[in-house]
Amino acid sequence: MAGIEELSPAAGPVETRPPEGEIDEDEDEELDETIMERLWGLTEMFPDTLRSAAEVTASGSVTVAKKLYSFSRTALWVGTTSFMILVLPVVFETERLQLEQQQLQQQRQILLGPNAGMSGGMPGLMPPAPVKM
Amino acid sequence: VKSTKSQSIPNFSGAPGLVSVPPGFSMPSVPPPSVPGQPAGETGSPLPNPGTYEECHRKCKEVFPIQMEGVRLVVNKGLSNHFQVSHTVTLSTLAESGYRFGATYVGTQQTGPAESFPVMVGDMDNTGSLNAQVIHQLTSAVRSKIAIQTQQHKFVNWQCDLEYRGDDFTSAVTLGNPDVLLGSGIIVAHYLQSISPALALGGELVYHRRPGEEGAVTSLMGRYTGNNYVATLTLGGAGAHATYYHRANDQLQLGVEFEGSMRTQETAVSFGYQLDLPKANLLFKGSVDSNWVVGAVLEKKLLPLPLSLALGAFLNQKKNTFQCGFNVTVG
Repeated sequence: MAGIEELSPAAGPVETRPPEGEIDEDEDEELDETIMERLWGLTEMFPDTLRSAAEVTASGSVTVAKKLYSFSRTALWVGTTSFMILVLPVVFETERLQLEQQQLQQQRQILLGPNAGMSGGMPGLMPPAPVKM
Repeated sequence: VKSTKSQSIPNFSGAPGLVSVPPGFSMPSVPPPSVPGQPAGETGSPLPNPGTYEECHRKCKEVFPIQMEGVRLVVNKGLSNHFQVSHTVTLSTLAESGYRFGATYVGTQQTGPAESFPVMVGDMDNTGSLNAQVIHQLTSAVRSKIAIQTQQHKFVNWQCDLEYRGDDFTSAVTLGNPDVLLGSGIIVAHYLQSISPALALGGELVYHRRPGEEGAVTSLMGRYTGNNYVATLTLGGAGAHATYYHRANDQLQLGVEFEGSMRTQETAVSFGYQLDLPKANLLFKGSVDSNWVVGAVLEKKLLPLPLSLALGAFLNQKKNTFQCGFNVTVG
């Protein structure tokens, strides 16, 4: 319909669209709906085996990705909770013990002088003050 | 009279010489100073005494943590060298909360550095259920045990046990729930023989009888003790049970257990470990199961008070259920 208006002498000298333009314009409005179908139509040029192989691969990889995601979620949960129950308390307690021992060592150092870092060390004695005669 | 295998044979792998008890009514454990455990092997004879039949799987089972649920407070008080009393308060969500009073008497006849006889252990619940055991050394080789268990006023278990320790063998006969009027009862006979200093073989025969049916189950057992490991295998009509206990160093002990049952056609493998850190006053037991069960128990001595705290957690990954509990032991 728009094309007919263009062809009337009242339209003006500029617009002389080729007939394909009319068809194009017509299909311009429908292009959004048909572009996927046009692209899909392009795939029909490939042989059937290739198309089915590609389809299987695509859907297979989507399934694998989904399964991998859910498996990694479950594995992460199982691993974390098992580690929490089996290993974490021992780690806490051994670290606490280490800190306590360090603290004791430090206290001993402060109390008995810097040479008394180890439990078997000699305490550092102050030299006797000189007596003034 | 045809002999058939009954479906409800009681499981005798509980405490020594006792039928397994329903949950909540476990027989009290005999306290350490008077434990009638394995005596030291005879040093004179070439082959040592192999210990009792039930003790063979015990070393591995002790490595595994027990499932704890709810809160438990235990107060132990020693009134004298021979007498000890314990109060237990249990608060739980799944089972009944209650109070239990226990008393232990250790006699004056001393057979070894850590053993004295007779030993009388009794336990009474707030509902009136009683567990009682009397263990006595009749002669130097014969030990006897009588145990009864009641649920409120009804007698549930009563049994008598006689054990003979020879130079290189141990045999025991247990008579469980004998009822002369009904003509029912269970007889269990154990025999364990040392073949070599490391290898012990034995057998078990369970005969049970009820009015109208009777049956027998036999099983064979072999135990091999190595330098720092113990491997035990039990094969019987009821299934197979294999345990392996390994002592890695003085802090770490490992246990692997395989159990297969003919009745339920199920098998299960569990792996457990026990970590002992006396410097940190810590005892940690963990276990992983083929049923996707992960569990651990942490026991800590809160010095300088004679207080000990145990925290336990069990998680079933497949069913996504979790159970935790803690025990406080005073004294």
